[in-house]
Amino acid sequence: MLNISRLNKTFSRGLGSPAVADLSITLSQGEVFALLGPNGAGKTTIIKLITGLIRPTSGQITINNLPSSSTAAKQITGYLPEQPQFYRYLNTKELLELAGGLFGLDRQTASRRSIELAKRVGLAADLKRSIGQFSKGMHQRLGLAVALINDPPLLILDEPLDGLDPIGRADFKKLILELKGRGKTIFFSSHILADVAEIGDRVAIINRGRLLKIGSPAAITGGQKSLELAFVGEINNDNHA
Amino acid sequence: MTTTLKALGGRLRGQIRLIWLIGLNTFKETIRDRILYLIVVFSIIVIAATLLAASVSLGQDVRVIKSFGLQAMLFLLLVITVFSGTQLIWREIERQTIYFILTKPVSREIWLLGKYLGLALTVTLVGLIMGTEFLILLKVKGVLELIPTIATICFILLESYLVIAISLFFSSFAAPLSSAIYTFLVVLVGHSSSTLWLISQKASPAIKYLLETIYYLFPNLEKFNLRNELIYGLTVDRAQLLAVLGYFVGYSLVLLLLALAAARRGEY
Repeated sequence: MLNISRLNKTFSRGLGSPAVADLSITLSQGEVFALLGPNGAGKTTIIKLITGLIRPTSGQITINNLPSSSTAAKQITGYLPEQPQFYRYLNTKELLELAGGLFGLDRQTASRRSIELAKRVGLAADLKRSIGQFSKGMHQRLGLAVALINDPPLLILDEPLDGLDPIGRADFKKLILELKGRGKTIFFSSHILADVAEIGDRVAIINRGRLLKIGSPAAITGGQKSLELAFVGEINNDNHA
Repeated sequence: MTTTLKALGGRLRGQIRLIWLIGLNTFKETIRDRILYLIVVFSIIVIAATLLAASVSLGQDVRVIKSFGLQAMLFLLLVITVFSGTQLIWREIERQTIYFILTKPVSREIWLLGKYLGLALTVTLVGLIMGTEFLILLKVKGVLELIPTIATICFILLESYLVIAISLFFSSFAAPLSSAIYTFLVVLVGHSSSTLWLISQKASPAIKYLLETIYYLFPNLEKFNLRNELIYGLTVDRAQLLAVLGYFVGYSLVLLLLALAAARRGEY
């Protein structure tokens, strides 16, 4: 479904150290894949590379064998950015309908999907509310609805649990598992290790743009008591290497 | 063959729909901007000022109304164009709403064309409001020549559309303030083309070469000026109008293509 092959990214204005170095990951259909890493590890850069917002220095990313930056690949991808920002002058319904329109949905379908999704993410009462009045958590919920508007087979979520209250997090995890049950592939980044262990089929730990370890949460944890201990151990070992 | 043509037609319709959606959203963004309301209010004040200026001009009131009114309309439309045009792209990047658009099946070219369309719609709306005020004023004064006045207003709008392309071109690679300054300078030079040409003919060879380069490189915005023809009742050659239209299309296309090339390179 998603194939990242020998991906490298160096920002020209940076100090020359790569933001992503020789990263290769393959995701199969229906898999929930979590990208774990400390702040500045390169998680958001990887996600921006997948969504085509930035270009790789070298390497390839394909979605169903299509270049991930192509409009054809974007047609089958849903994306939730870290701290999603939307047009503050629109209301929930207008924004979701706009998102649907950009995916080529006709007006009726976009309207129907908007209402369904607003309900699904807990914003049914806010359909006519201006986005300018939304809290961080509501932005996150709306962002998830936007990512789902085209019912995509692949979801790319950057820190989706950030800004959500415990109820929102529980709802989100339930939704992810429901989507997984419907055969959706989900690639998400997070630093909330308990949630990753709970919903991720596979986990990749990255640090300084490099892949340190990849496998199921159980395999990553290995002899350690928790994923958190395993994660901290991996990062510390890498930082002192 | 027919199937291929149908597929191409469908694809083209899809792309036009995307440009329209982004354009409409940009239009909503600009008309919900309070500054725009201030400009519309200001335009009403300008009309009042036009009447005042006309009342103290000895027997020249009709010419003063036409000249002052049309100049004010052009000035206000250019203010909106430069101010909004140079902010459009930057605002989308700064507020990160660009992620919302560019992660959808929307190419950067479509996005930029949508932005252009959105601002053109806004400028058209403001032009229509101001133009209507101006037509009413001339009607009340009993000096309305409908077709020439509408043609003059249309060419002011056409000039504004070209300035949108200029501002988008600069804002595709420069910061808003720099873009605004560059656009303003191009507008200034564009309205001084004939003066530049006259100076170049009397200048030293090096200066002449420089001024002539500027003359040919910068848009000649005076081509869009039909104000004198309206004020003094001069006739306008249809072929000349068509040539100006062609000039507008050609120049705008080049600027938009350059802006598209810059947008294609951008990383967000």
